[in-house]
Amino acid sequence: MADWILGEFESEEELLKAARELRQNAQLDVETYSPYPLHGASEAVGLKASKLPLFALVAGLSGATLAYLIQFYTNAVSWPINVGGRPPHSAPVFVPITFETGVLISGFAIFFALWALLRLPQPYHPVFEVEGFRRASIDGLWLSVETAVSSETERLAERLRALGARQVAVVRDKP
Amino acid sequence: MDPAIQDPLDPLPLIAGRHGDDGLTRMIFSPIWEKTRRGWWFLFVLGLGGTGVLVAAVTTTLAQGIGSWGNNIPVAWALGITDFVWWIGIGHAGTLISAILLLFQQRWRNSINRFAETMTLFAVMCAGMFPVLHLGRPWFAYWLVPYPNRMNIWPQFKSALPWDVVAVSTYFTVSLLFWYVGLVPDLASLRDSSHSRLRRIVYGIFALGWRGSTRQWHHHKIAYLLLGGLATPLVVSVHTIVSFDFAISQLPGWHSTIFPPYFVAGAVFSGFGMVLTLIIPARRVLGLEDVITLKHIDNMNKVVLATSMMVAYGYLMETFIGWYSGDKNDWFAVINRMFGPFAYMFWLLIVCNVLAPQLFWLRSIRTNLIVTWIVSVLINVGMWSERFVIVVVSLHRDFLPSSWAQYKPTWVDWGLLFGTVSFFGTLFLLFLRFLPAVSATEVKELRKELAEHGVEATAA
Repeated sequence: MADWILGEFESEEELLKAARELRQNAQLDVETYSPYPLHGASEAVGLKASKLPLFALVAGLSGATLAYLIQFYTNAVSWPINVGGRPPHSAPVFVPITFETGVLISGFAIFFALWALLRLPQPYHPVFEVEGFRRASIDGLWLSVETAVSSETERLAERLRALGARQVAVVRDKP
Repeated sequence: MDPAIQDPLDPLPLIAGRHGDDGLTRMIFSPIWEKTRRGWWFLFVLGLGGTGVLVAAVTTTLAQGIGSWGNNIPVAWALGITDFVWWIGIGHAGTLISAILLLFQQRWRNSINRFAETMTLFAVMCAGMFPVLHLGRPWFAYWLVPYPNRMNIWPQFKSALPWDVVAVSTYFTVSLLFWYVGLVPDLASLRDSSHSRLRRIVYGIFALGWRGSTRQWHHHKIAYLLLGGLATPLVVSVHTIVSFDFAISQLPGWHSTIFPPYFVAGAVFSGFGMVLTLIIPARRVLGLEDVITLKHIDNMNKVVLATSMMVAYGYLMETFIGWYSGDKNDWFAVINRMFGPFAYMFWLLIVCNVLAPQLFWLRSIRTNLIVTWIVSVLINVGMWSERFVIVVVSLHRDFLPSSWAQYKPTWVDWGLLFGTVSFFGTLFLLFLRFLPAVSATEVKELRKELAEHGVEATAA
């Protein structure tokens, strides 16, 4: 459990500058919050490239392979049907379903991997304790740092103010 | 300068007036927070009434079978398939706007994508009913899925019809996932700006605890783009597969290689027609004229004009190939389409789909809401007639005159068409009441980008 210190910033530049500062000089776990994605925010917080494209590719290829194998097994091995003299294993006619299933499985993979990576759904989070944080999804720009050492909390709040936060709120660890 | 960004010399802005992020959010959410209007209730009751007709028509179909429809031999596919193709085509504009324009970084899509995507979902729901009802015994619809069974038999995947099942269900599923992923940040804004506890809890559940943190945006952006990338080939593939239902058969008027591109162009054309039909009244009633501006209408009309020309090319080529093939039956299909018993349907589609959109060469017409609305309704009618001509007119006089027959729809056929239109309208009214018709998140992002390029709207 930890204390959360939140600060609201006036502008995007100040927010990202503060995030960079806190991460690089104080080695803190920083998070910024904004109503829409900000340019350069991922870098400021120090995030690595998302793994989602890899999941999408692997899932898509597996889905397509599976679909092809099902069609091949059912229509060419298990119960071959002669349709207009076409060979039982007729690759071109299996293409549409192979493609569509690849897209479907890839779509599901992206969707569920996204929520898994974001650890959502998560009904409660300490930042929701701050009434002013409601603005973060409307027009507010917020920054949070987390500390396990409760003696650090006041110092960090001071630090956020010094970096230009116009309001600072602290969510204390519940006993 | 990036051509997707508002040109300062261009008189039509993407966001009119001066709004800050707060103002934009307020404006976009105001139709949700305000009290339900009388007009909404009136339309909603009307829509429910129409949906009642749908229930009656579906019940009759289930109780009496396909015999209650006007279908006969040789017209074994009739209004059911016409309606199916029409509805599924309408959906395509939503995917085009949300996915293809996203990949092309066309900024103007940000204000209309939610509207169009929602239309896609509801249109595909309506479309999906028809093939299932047309099975005759819809309760065996699960036979289309390859599962091990006691009958020891599998679906026959060399037919275009199982392709259709997979294509349409994939299309609906991926569109739904894409729509919801894009909606989550807006649901979080709704949760945070709601004043009653109930609303806060309900929107909060659907927002999944979204906080808008960098980490969340980081993955969300990629997921959204990837889903857009996946939906893009769907725009092309789904209607291509639908057109295979016809093109891989032997029937004159169907057996033609131009069908896939011609169907896709027609789908986008009809979809934009439906978006315009809905968005022109909605932007006014919901007070969204500052975010869905004349610029958007103008751009959409350009797409309508372009796709209308593609469809016209399709009609021209069908006629030319009918003659050039030297096939007696093919040529007869062309003549019968133009001068046979259903000639009026053919000329109706020419007027609606080819002639009426030519007005959009003029900028003054493209930004004239009344004319645009009338043309958009004509496009909906025209595209329905096109599908009627393809399905019914090709079938009713095939090869041997001894097997020809005339086709007449019954009240159940019309009830299904009218009923799905009402059902679609009812769902749309519910959407406008409970969810933001415009993506607040993406419009705020657009505003910021425009401001960064020194155009329009600084914080008010």
